[in-house]
Formats: sequence, structure tokens, C-alpha cells
Amino acid sequence: MLRLNPLTLKKIRRFRSIRRGYYSLIVLVVMIVLSLGAELLVNKRALVVCYKDRLYFPTYGDMIPGRTFGLDYDYETDYRQLKKIFARRNEGNWVLMPPIPYDPYENDLRKDDFPPFAPSLASRHFLGTDAVGRDIAARLIYGFRIAIFFSLGLLVINYLIGVAVGCAMGYWAGAFDLVFQRLIEIWSNVPFLYVIIIISSIVVPTFWILILIMALFGWMGMTWTMRTMTYKEKARDYVLAAKALGAGDLRIIFRHVIPNTVAVIVTFAPFSISGGIVALTSLDYLGFGLPPPTPSWGELLQQGWANLDAWWISASVVGAMTVTLLTVTFIGEAIREAFDPRMHTIYE
Amino acid sequence: MTAYFIRRLLLIVPTFIGITILVFVITRFVPGGPIERIIAQARQMQMAGYGSGPAAPGSQTQPLSDEQLRTLKEYYGFDKPVLASYFSWLYKVLQGDLGVSTRYYDPVWDMIKERIPISLYFGILSLVIVYGVCIPLGIAKAVRHKSGFDNVSSALIFIGYAVPGWVVGVFLLVLLASHWEIFPLGGLVSEQFEDFSLWQKIADLAWHTVLPLTSYVLGSFAVMTFLMKNTLMDNLAADYVRTAMAKGLSFRAAVFRHALRNSLIPMATSFGNNISVILSGSFLIEKVFNIDGMGLLGYESVVERDYPVVMGILVISALLFMIGNILSDLCVALVDPRVKFE
Repeated sequence: MLRLNPLTLKKIRRFRSIRRGYYSLIVLVVMIVLSLGAELLVNKRALVVCYKDRLYFPTYGDMIPGRTFGLDYDYETDYRQLKKIFARRNEGNWVLMPPIPYDPYENDLRKDDFPPFAPSLASRHFLGTDAVGRDIAARLIYGFRIAIFFSLGLLVINYLIGVAVGCAMGYWAGAFDLVFQRLIEIWSNVPFLYVIIIISSIVVPTFWILILIMALFGWMGMTWTMRTMTYKEKARDYVLAAKALGAGDLRIIFRHVIPNTVAVIVTFAPFSISGGIVALTSLDYLGFGLPPPTPSWGELLQQGWANLDAWWISASVVGAMTVTLLTVTFIGEAIREAFDPRMHTIYE
Repeated sequence: MTAYFIRRLLLIVPTFIGITILVFVITRFVPGGPIERIIAQARQMQMAGYGSGPAAPGSQTQPLSDEQLRTLKEYYGFDKPVLASYFSWLYKVLQGDLGVSTRYYDPVWDMIKERIPISLYFGILSLVIVYGVCIPLGIAKAVRHKSGFDNVSSALIFIGYAVPGWVVGVFLLVLLASHWEIFPLGGLVSEQFEDFSLWQKIADLAWHTVLPLTSYVLGSFAVMTFLMKNTLMDNLAADYVRTAMAKGLSFRAAVFRHALRNSLIPMATSFGNNISVILSGSFLIEKVFNIDGMGLLGYESVVERDYPVVMGILVISALLFMIGNILSDLCVALVDPRVKFE
């Protein structure tokens, strides 16, 4: 069992007392958990099919051919159609569809009209469809899952590099520090977008390649902060005491310096997450992010921009972005306040 | 302190060379450069010339002769080793020659010069608005901390902070320009701009400015307001303000004569960085609103592999960024005599 020291417990209590941030955290966690089970909420496959008194759960696993349910084809069952057929025949068979019965990749086309279709409850396109007839709500939810795990992955890599390099720079100082300082200065001036555009024109960026490219340019912020923090901690007496007791460099870094800088690292994390989401969205918007047809907010925004009449496209993306980024920002503000409470004198 | 700033200025040189050499080398080793584009064009022309013959689509024959290729390489400076051509490029830059665009065959400096006023226009306007609104707003919020006004304005500002400006821009376009048709769909002026009278011109420009300017301002708005609010509150809690109040000064006088002055110091810190923002603009916002500024020029030249323009913009933005950093430090030293740079 993880033992928390009283100071950390106090910080957690303080965080919970900041209601805006605490509720935002709950909302965000619920959103992430729901998005993990997105297949159960948004899917063209049915949740449960009851056919001849046998239950089928098609959501996960291999596709079930239409013949299984007494239809006349061998490809995957069209469950929305199956539901109508069962309802018409009225033989006691039934289909339970997810709340949004569409796949994010599936084009729901009609014979008499062209997409984008406006939101409608009847067709179960709660937020309408995009320019090629894909359900927007489905793409928003799957896009959220990709975006949030993208930023989490990016955060982990950035912070690993940043903490390692920053600590080394601060701890060993001297020539090592100077060389890295110049390197960072040069590197941070290289137009980041330029390199991404070039790389994505050579290789089609996958999820991990894109994270690595972004990390190539994202590690500097944390490095800089950690360098300053390590400089500060190194000058403190307890480090000197540890050294006098014969502790080695690695022990001092891992047992003394890093635990004392965790507060700063944690404080920066939410802002890095919202930064990651925005960066991925911007790249997707420009068409240099994850390749289509990956569901993505940036790609939807691009569609909203290109189809100005279809207001529901941009409205839903902007709404989703506002909610997500706002909760993340609120969490960040609350963590910052919990870790560094500034009590102000207020004059009446 | 003079020595410190001279040292900082001298450090610009190696950093500048490092940045430009890095990007220069990248441009060299990336496929899709100007020569490959010309080859592709020539192949296309060949195919068009032969009509849709059976051999044409799959043929990978070189449409240009070796002689032509050599001339092209020489023209674009691709015949020399990387470092040699880098230094010849650098030599030209030092003489004020940024080269010629490989896309339009216009001098790069002329292309940049055309866009500067547009980016400058938005940059200065947003600067004026950000400082002009954020300082008073920050003061009001600090003085009325935790009041209804403070909470409501905080919530609004947070939305502007969390959602990036260009996303809000897309939304504003859809809502105000397309759905309600209050504002134009983009661009800087109307098509009939030349025929307008002076007042019509001003009105037209302002009409086109509102939405992009809102997007520009949103991002820095929150940071500035909260910076102002928080530093002012820190200062209000400081002992010297308490002393001033204790000796009988009114709250108003204590704020404006003592606390406010010290609170403006951090605001001055970020002032220097503005020069690079003013000039380079945000290409995302410029792309959304179809404004032909520096940002869009840079973005398009990167996408189209117009290397001389890419390098030209890099030269200007890198210099501005580094000078801006030094200016920031200088501003801090100017407004706060306690600050000493060794």
C-alpha cells in the first residue's frame, strides 16, 4: 500500500476543497473511462442480440455473418437493419443497439439527399453527420479517446526526458549545462511545424511516430524547469548533509532532489495535457496529423471550416473542446492552488 | 550590466548560425525540393504532349537531359556541398540578399516586405487591446477579489484561455459570418475596396478586422489579466501597503500610488517578446480567416517547399525572437532598479 506523507495528504485535502477543480477531475475521469468503453456506447454492432432464445454479444470479438441471424448474406450483419426486420417479423427476437448506433468510420448515406445531415433524434445522429455522412458524435468520442491518450503518452515521454536531462544539467552544471543550454536555444528556434510537415510528407505518421516527433520538440520546457529546480535544491543544506553522510550522486538525485521537485512536475502536468490536445488538433486541422480516416477533432474542425453552412460540425467540435480543455485547465488551476496556496490579505 | 547585454548580443551570432545551419541542412536532405518539382512538371508536360499513350502513365524515364539537370542544380545551388552552399547563402544574407523564391521567382525580401504591414496591423492592434483592457480588468478583479464580478469574468476568461484562438475563430466564422452574416467570411478588405471613399475604406477594414482580431486577442488576454490580478494581489498583501494603509492612506491611494506601480513590473517582462509575435503572426488564425500575412506566407512556403522563403522568414523570426528576449530583460532592468544582471 502506498504510504502518503502527511504533507501530501494535506495537499490532496486542499485540492478536494477547491470544488471547481475537484469536480472537473471527476468529470474528466468519467469522460476518459467512458471513452475507454466507447465500443459499448458508439458502435454499429449491437450490444445484445436475442435470436431464437440465444443471446449474442457482437460488440467485441469476430464479426458475426448475417446468416447466423437467418439473413441471406455472409458478410457482417447490419444490426440496424436486423433490428427493423426483427421488429417487423415479431417472433420474439430482439436487438439492443448502443445509444449511438453508428461506427466512426461508417458513411451513412441516403438515396435522396447529400451529407452533411443536420442533427436529428429520429435518425439517431444526435450531432448530425459530417461532409461524407459519418456520425459526428461517434467521431467526437473516438477522437477524444485518441487525443487524450495521445497527450498522456506525449506527457510521459516529455517528462521522462525533461526530468532526466534537466536534473543532469542542474546537478552536474558546468560545461554539460552550457552545451545543453545552447542546444536547447537552437532547437527551440527551429520551426517545429516545419519539421513535422516535412516528416509527415515522407512517412505517414502513426500514433507513436507522431508522439515521438512531438516529443522531439516538447522536452525542452520541462528540462528548463527541472534544471532551475535542481539548481535550487542542490544548494539546500539537506543535500550537503546527504553528501557529508557519503551518499552518491545517483542516491542524492533519486532520493532527495527528484522527490522534492515532484510538486512542480505535477503542477505542470494538466497544462501539458491541454497543450497536447491542442497541438494534435492543430496538426490534424492542417492535415499533417494522424492520417485519415482516423477520427479526430482537427479534421472535423477543418470540415466545419470548409462547410460553413453545416454549423453543427464546428459547433459540436468547439463545444467538445471547450468542455475538455476547460476541465483540464480547472484541474490544473486547482492543483497549482493546492500545492502553492497563496493567502492574500483582503481589505474590506 | 552593459557588459552583460553586450555579451547577450554577441551570443546571438552563434545561436543564429546554429539555427540557420540546422534548417538549411534539413531542407537539403528532404525530398520534394524545387528540382524534383520541375522534373515532375516536365514529366506532366511530356505526358500531356504525347496524349494518353499506353506507355506514358507508368514510364519513369527522366524527362530532362543531364545537361538541363546540371544547370538546374547550379541555379538552385544544389551542386555544391551543403556547408559550402550554406556559407554562400549566409554571405548573401549578410549583404541583405535573401534570394529568390523558387515558386514565384520574386525576391524573398519583397514578398516578406509586402506581408509585414498586415501582420504588424493585427499585432499592434491586439497589443493595444490586450494591454489596454487587461491592466484595468486585472486591477478591478484584484480589488474585488472573490466578488460576483470576479468569478463571472474569471469563468469567461478561462474559456478564452482554454480554447485556442483559431478554434474560436472557426466558431465565430460559422456563427457570425455564415449563419447570421454579420461579418465577412475572411480576407482583409472587400473586392471593391479601391472604389471606396476614405470613410468607407476605414469602415470596411474595421468590419473585416473584428473577427480575426478577437481570435488574436483571446489567447494572451487570460494570461495578462491573471498576471496583473495576481501580482497586484501579492503586492496588496505586502507589508508596505499595509503600512501605507495604517498611516491613514485611503485604499484607493494605496493601490494606485504604491501597489500598482510594483505590479506593472511583470507586465513589462513580456513586453519585449511581443515584437516577434507582432511580426510573425499566427498562421493558424491567418489561415482560418484567409489573411495574407507573414504567418500564412511562412506556412505556405513550408508546405510548398519554397526554401529561400522558408530561410528568409527563419532569419527574420529568429533574429526578432532573440532580440525580443534581450529587450525583455532590458525592460525589466529599466522598470525595476533592484534587478541586476551579472
